[in-house]
Amino acid sequence: MTTINTQPLDRPAIEGDNYLTHSRGFLSWILTLDHKRIGVMYLVSVLACFLLGGLFALAVRTQLLVPDGLIMDQDQYNQAFTLHGGIMVFLVIIPGIPAALGNFVLPIMLGAKDVAFPRLNLFSYWLWIVGAIFLVVSIFAGLDTGWTFYTPYSIDQNSAMGGVIPAVTGAFLLGFASIFTGMNFIVTIHRLRPDGMTWFRMPLFLWSLYATAVIQVLATPVLGITLALLAVERAFGIGIFNPALGGDPVLFQHFFWFYSHPAVYIMILPAMGVVSELIAVHSHRHIFGYHFIAWSSIAIAIFSFLVWGHHMFTSGQSPLMNVIFSFITFSVAIPSAVKVFNWLATMYKGSISWNTAMLYGMGFIFLFLIGGLTGLYLGTLATDVYLHDTYFVVAHFHYTMMGSALIGFIGGLHHWWPKITGKMFNENAGRIAFFLFLIGYNMTFFTQFMLGSHGMPRRYATYPADAGFQNYNIISTIGSYLMAISFFMMAGYFIASIFGGKRAAANPWGGRSLEWQCSSPPPHDNFSEQPAVGDCYDFSVLRWDEATQGYVWREDVEHPGHHTEEAAHA
Amino acid sequence: MSQVHIQGDEHGHDHPEFLAHHWSSPVQQFEAGKLGMWLFLATEILLFGGLFVAYAVWRSNHPEIFAYGSQFLDTTWGAINTAVLLTSSMTMAMAVTFAARGKMKAVVVTLILTLMGAGGFMAIKYVEYSHKFHEGFYPGLSFYEEPEASHLWLPLEETAIAHKDAVAAHEAAGSAALAAEDAARAELPAAPAEAQVWNQPKAGLGPEGLTTDQELLDTAELAIFLPPSVLGNIEDQHEEVAFAEHHAPGEQVHLSHPLQDPERPVNAQKFFTIYFLMTGLHGIHVVVGGIVILWLLILTLRGRFSRKYYTPVDLGGLYWHIVDVIWIFLFPLFYLI
Amino acid sequence: MSMLGLLATMKLGEATSGGGFWMPESASTVAPEVDSVFYFINNINYFFFALCMVILIWFAFRYHAKPSEHATFAADAPTHNTPLELTWTVVPLLLVGVIFWLGMDGYLELNESPEDAYEVQVTGQKWSWTFQHPEFGVTEAAELTVPLNKPVRLIMTSSDVLHSLFIPAFRVKNDVVPGRYTSLWFEANKPGQYRLYCAEYCGKDHSKMLAVVNVLPEDEFQTRLGKLAREYEDIDDRDLPAYGLTRLYNRCASCHSLDGSSGTGPSFKGLWDRTRKGTTVFTNGQDLKDLAGPGGEFEVPENYLRDSILNPQRHIVQNYTGSMPTFKGQLKERQIDALVLMIKNLDRLVDEQGVPIENPDLEGADISTGAGQ
Ligand code: HEA
Ligand code: HEA
Ligand code: HEC
Ligand code: CUA
Ligand SMILES: [Cu+2]
Repeated sequence: MTTINTQPLDRPAIEGDNYLTHSRGFLSWILTLDHKRIGVMYLVSVLACFLLGGLFALAVRTQLLVPDGLIMDQDQYNQAFTLHGGIMVFLVIIPGIPAALGNFVLPIMLGAKDVAFPRLNLFSYWLWIVGAIFLVVSIFAGLDTGWTFYTPYSIDQNSAMGGVIPAVTGAFLLGFASIFTGMNFIVTIHRLRPDGMTWFRMPLFLWSLYATAVIQVLATPVLGITLALLAVERAFGIGIFNPALGGDPVLFQHFFWFYSHPAVYIMILPAMGVVSELIAVHSHRHIFGYHFIAWSSIAIAIFSFLVWGHHMFTSGQSPLMNVIFSFITFSVAIPSAVKVFNWLATMYKGSISWNTAMLYGMGFIFLFLIGGLTGLYLGTLATDVYLHDTYFVVAHFHYTMMGSALIGFIGGLHHWWPKITGKMFNENAGRIAFFLFLIGYNMTFFTQFMLGSHGMPRRYATYPADAGFQNYNIISTIGSYLMAISFFMMAGYFIASIFGGKRAAANPWGGRSLEWQCSSPPPHDNFSEQPAVGDCYDFSVLRWDEATQGYVWREDVEHPGHHTEEAAHA
Repeated sequence: MSQVHIQGDEHGHDHPEFLAHHWSSPVQQFEAGKLGMWLFLATEILLFGGLFVAYAVWRSNHPEIFAYGSQFLDTTWGAINTAVLLTSSMTMAMAVTFAARGKMKAVVVTLILTLMGAGGFMAIKYVEYSHKFHEGFYPGLSFYEEPEASHLWLPLEETAIAHKDAVAAHEAAGSAALAAEDAARAELPAAPAEAQVWNQPKAGLGPEGLTTDQELLDTAELAIFLPPSVLGNIEDQHEEVAFAEHHAPGEQVHLSHPLQDPERPVNAQKFFTIYFLMTGLHGIHVVVGGIVILWLLILTLRGRFSRKYYTPVDLGGLYWHIVDVIWIFLFPLFYLI
Repeated sequence: MSMLGLLATMKLGEATSGGGFWMPESASTVAPEVDSVFYFINNINYFFFALCMVILIWFAFRYHAKPSEHATFAADAPTHNTPLELTWTVVPLLLVGVIFWLGMDGYLELNESPEDAYEVQVTGQKWSWTFQHPEFGVTEAAELTVPLNKPVRLIMTSSDVLHSLFIPAFRVKNDVVPGRYTSLWFEANKPGQYRLYCAEYCGKDHSKMLAVVNVLPEDEFQTRLGKLAREYEDIDDRDLPAYGLTRLYNRCASCHSLDGSSGTGPSFKGLWDRTRKGTTVFTNGQDLKDLAGPGGEFEVPENYLRDSILNPQRHIVQNYTGSMPTFKGQLKERQIDALVLMIKNLDRLVDEQGVPIENPDLEGADISTGAGQ
C-alpha cells in the first residue's frame, strides 16, 4: 500500500521556494511561526550577544595586562566581568544550541513539519528579547554583583550599584523563554515523531536536546523563584537572605546553584549532542555505542540535580554535606567519560574528512578533556578548598563553557550552515580560523590554570605586582586578542558566504539524518512527503558526487524512498 | 504504520480548521496539548516548590515566628475559601465532562459557576488582605511602618489617678516627702492622644548565628541593610519610645495592638512576608485562571467547541485543578499549623 | 603550544615546598597533603589526557580521507562492544572513587582543628581585615602575626557582606559570613611573610582587600605581641598623631586618601578644616554647622570625627554612600584619640602629595581631642 517515491536524495532546491523566500517582508519574519525562521532569529540575536560579551571579555583582559589595571577603575572592572559573565551565560551559551540550532534542526531531524507549539515558540523568542533588553539595560545601572548575584552583597543598599532588579527581571524572563523552548522540544519529540522514528532511531543530537529540555523544564523554575525572592528582598527587605534580618545569605547560594549547576549541563549536553553528529558524519562511520551515549545524556541530566553543593565547599556548610556533594559530583564524570571514549571509538576505521566542522568536533574533545579533567580537582574536597574562587575555576569553566559548549555551538554552526543558508563557506578560511582560535584559546586560558594554582583569586581588578602573576596575565591577554581575531575572521567568512558563497548541495557532508534529505535551504514546511526513516548513522548507502559537490544515494543500494502524502494517508 | 497514522486514518482527510498544519490528526494535536500542559504544570509546581522550600527553611529556623504569626490569620475565611475553590474545581471538572458529551449549554453553566468560584475566592482574599493591611501586617520591612490601627496607649490617666490617691494617703499618714514625690509623678503631662510607638525591629543575626543580646546589631550597623525610609522611621521612634519610658517609668507599656506586643518574636515580619508571597503568587494564578475560564466561556458561547474538539476546555480544567491543589497545601501550612 | 610546555616541565607527583610548576611555595603542615592529592589527580589526568589525545590524533591521521575517496565506507567497523564500553565505564568509576576518598581525607584534616590551637578572631569588612588576639588584647589590621609550628585557629565573621580568607601558602580558605562564625586552622612551618587575599567577591575594592601573614618563631612572636599590646599605652600623647598615621591609618587607607583625591570615602586632607568650620554637607541637606556648637549634637568638632568613626551611618557626607563600617569595638579609646589627632594634625604629618614626612615636627601641635572641653 505504500507507494515508494524513488526521487533521488539530492533533489535540487526548488528555486524560489525555500523557507527564506517563502514569504517576504519584515513582518513575515518577526511574526513568523516557522521554527526555522525563529531559529535564525535566535541565531542572529545570540551571535550579537556573543560579540557584546566578547567585547566585555576583551576589556577585562586588557585591564589585567598590568598589576594596577590598565583601562578601568575598580567599579568599572567589576561591572565589566559581571556583564561579561551574565551575557555569556544567559544570552549566549544557554540559548545558543537549543534555541538557535535546536529550533532549526530538531523538527527537520525528526521528520516533523514544525515544533509542537509554534506560537509558544515565537512567544518564547520575544520573551527572550525582552529579557535580554532588561539584562543589557542593567549595564547602565551599574550592575556589579558577578553573574552569581550572591547575597548579601546583591541586597546591600549602600554599595555603589543598581541594576540588580532589572538584571534579575531579565534573567527571570530569559528563564521562562528557556522553559518554553524546553517544553516545546519535549512535546515535539514525544508526539511528533513520524513513521518509523522510534526512540532509538533518533539522532543523538535529539537525545541530548531531550535531556537538556528536561533540565530546562525542571531546574529553571527554581531559578525563577530564587531571583524573584532576591528582587523582593532587595525592594522590600523581606529578610530571607539578609543576615541583618535573621535571614541566611548562604541559603541563596543553595537556591542559585540548584539551578545553575544543572544549567552547566544545559550548556554542555546539546554541545555533546552536536559533537556526536559531527564526529559520526564527518568520519563517515557509524556512531560507536549509540545506546551508551543516549543513556549517558539522561544520566547526566539526572545526576546534575544532585551536585549543586560542590560550588559551596568553603561556604561554611557542614562537612558532611560537603563530603556527600563531593561524592555525587564524581558520579557525573562517568557518563562524560563514556561519551569521550565512544567518540574516539567512532573515529576508529572511519573515513575522516578534515572539514572545519570536524576540526571543531576534535577540538571539542581536546578542550573538553582539559575542562572536564580539571573539574576533578574541583570536585575533590582537599584541593577545591585551595582552588575555589581562584583563576583555576575561571580556567575550568572557560574550558567547559567556551572550549566545549561554545565550540560545540560553533562546530554545529559550521555543520548546519549550508543547510541554514544554502551556501558553502570558505573551508580554508575556516581551518585557519580554527587553528588561530586553538592557539589563542590555550594561551588565554591554560595560563589561567597556572594563575589559579598559584593563588590568584578571581574577580580581581588589580593584583599585587610582586606575586608573580603578571607574566601569565600578559600571555593570557595576548591569547585573547588572537582568539578575537579568529572570531572576527569567522564572522567575515560566514558573512561572505551569504553573498558570494557556492550553493550548497542538499547533503554536502554526507549526513544521513533527515535534515540532509531535504533541500538546502529547506522548503517552508520541511517535507512535503513523510521521509523514510532509516538508521541515521549508516553511511554506507551514500557516495560522493563530484557534480553536485554533495553526497548522494548509491545506485547499487535500494532507496527506501519517501512516504508520500498519499501513502501516509491512504 | 505507526499508531499516529492509524489514528490519522480514522479521521480521514477532513482537516478541520482547528487542526494546525503540522499535525496529522486531531488526536495527535490533543495529546500534544495535554503533554505540554502537564509539563507546564510541572514547572508551576516547581515554581511554588521554591517557595515551599523557603517556607520550610524559615519555619525550621524560626518556629516561634510562625507560631506567633499564624494566630493572626482567620481560619474561618480560609476554610470558606478552601470550600469555594474545591467547589469550583468540581464545576470545572463537570464542564469538561459535559464538553466531552457535547452538552454545550451545560458547559456554559458550569463555566459560569467556576468563574463565580474564582471571583468569590478573590473577593474573600481581598477582605482578608485589606484586614491585614489595616492592622499593619505588611510584607517585608513595611511591617515596621506605623500600622493604621495602632496607638500607643499609655496608662497615664490611670497612673495619675493612682498617684493622686497615693498623695492623699501619704498626706493622711503625715509623710510629706513621699506625698510630694507622688504628687510630682501625678503631675507628669499626659501623653499626646496621637502618640504612636512601635517597636524597632530587633535584628537577630543569622539563624545559627549570634543570638545573645550584646551581639544584636544596633540600628547603626543594621543601616547597611535597610532602606533609608525605614531607617528614618527607626530614628524617629527612638524619641517616642524614650518619651513613653519617661512618662511611665518601669511601667509595662500597654499597647493596643499585638503587633506592638513586646513579647513579639524578633523578625515577625517574615511570617507575613512568606504568607503574602505565597498566597499572592497563588492569587495571581487564580486571576489568570479566571481569565482563562472567561476566554473558554466566550469561545463556548461562540460555538467553537464540539464533542470532537474541546481541547482548550480540557487543558484549562487541568490548570484550574492545579491552582486548587496548591491552595490545598497553602491552607494548612499557613492557617492550621 | 602550551601542552608541550606542560609536558616539558611536568613534575610527576612531587610536592615541592619551594614552589613548582603547578603549586606555589608551601608553608604549612597541611600544604604537602593538599599538594599530594593535587599531584595524584594530576597523574591520572595526564594519563587520560595523553591517552585520549594520542588516540584522537592517531585516528585523525590514520583514517583521514578526501571526499572523493569515500567510495566505500568501512562496513566492518564495529558499532558497539559492550565489554569494552563497560570497561571504560567502570575503570574511571573506580579511579574517581579513590580520588574522592583521598580528597575527603585531606579535607577532614583541614577541618578538624587541634584542641590546643592558638585562637585569633578575624573580622572581614569592606575592604579590610581585622585580626584580634584575645590572649594579648591586641588588634592588628592588614597584618596577621602568628607563631611558628603551632596550630592557629581563626574564628571569622563579617560585619557586612561575604568575604573569604585565603592564604595560598598554607592552602587554606574559608568564607567569612555575616551573622555567623566560620573557622579555619593551619600550622605554619616556615617563618616568613605570606600573602592573604580576600577570595569572595565583596564589591568595589575586593581586589585590594589584602593582608600579610607574618610567621614568627614562638619567642619573637611573644615579644612582638607583647609590644603591640602595650604599644598605644606606652605612647606619649605627643606621639599619638604619628602613631595614628603609621599604625592605624592602614585601616582607613582603602577608602580615605591623604592627598585630597576622593575614594570610596572623602580624603582626610582638608577634612579637619571642613569639620572645624562646619562646612561639611550631608546627604540629607544638613550642614555640619547645624549640628555643631553648644547644645548641638557636636559641641566640639572633634566629637564629629569620633562619631564618624563609631557611628558612620549617622551622618553621610554628600556625594558618598554609607559604606563605611563602624569601628566600634575594634579600636581602643586611645586609638580613636590617635586617629582624631592624626586627622587634626594631618598637615604636619604629610606633605602636599600625602606622603608621610619623616620625623614630623609636631611642636605646638594641637593634641587635645576635645574630650576635656
Ligand atoms: C559547560 C559547563 C560545565 C561543565 C560541563 C562542567 C563540568 C564539571 N565541573 Fe564545572 N563549573 C562550571 C561549568 C561546567 N563544569 C562553571 C560555570 C563553574 C563556576 C561557576 C562560577 O563559580 O562562576 C564550575 C565550577 C565547578 C566547581 C566548583 C568550583 C569552585 O567554585 O570551587 C566544581 C567542583 O566540583 C566543578 C566540577 C565539575 C565536574 C566534576 C565536571 C564534570 O562534569 C566533568 C566530567 C568530564 C571529565 C571527567 C572528562 C572526560 C572523562 C575522561 C576522559 C575519563 C577519565 C576520567 C576519569 C578518571 C574520571 N565545576
Ligand atoms: C560561554 C561563556 C563564556 C565565554 C564564551 C567567555 C569568553 C571569554 N572570557 Fe569569560 N567568563 C564567563 C563566561 C564566558 N567567558 C563567566 C560566566 C565568567 C564569570 C563572571 C563572574 O565572575 O561573575 C567569566 C569570567 C571571565 C574572566 C574572569 C574575570 C574575573 O574573575 O575577574 C576572564 C578573564 O580573563 C574572562 C575572559 C574571557 C575571554 C578572554 C573570553 C573570550 O574567549 C571571548 C572571545 C570572544 C570575542 C572577542 C567575541 C567575538 C565575536 C564576534 C566577532 C561575533 C561572532 C560572530 C560569529 C562567531 C559568526 N572571562
Ligand atoms: C569601606 C570604606 C571606609 C573605611 C575602611 C573607612 N571609611 Fe571613613 N568614610 C567612608 C565613607 C564612604 C565616608 C563618607 C560617608 C559618611 O560620612 O559616612 C566616610 C567618612 C568618614 C569621616 C567623615 C568625613 C567627612 O568628610 O566628614 C571620617 C572622619 C572617617 N570616615 C574616618 C575614618 C577612619 C578614621 C577610618 C579608619 C579607622 C575610616 N574612616 C575607614 C568609608 C570608609
Ligand atoms: Cu572581601 Cu572580597
Ligand atoms: Cu557545578
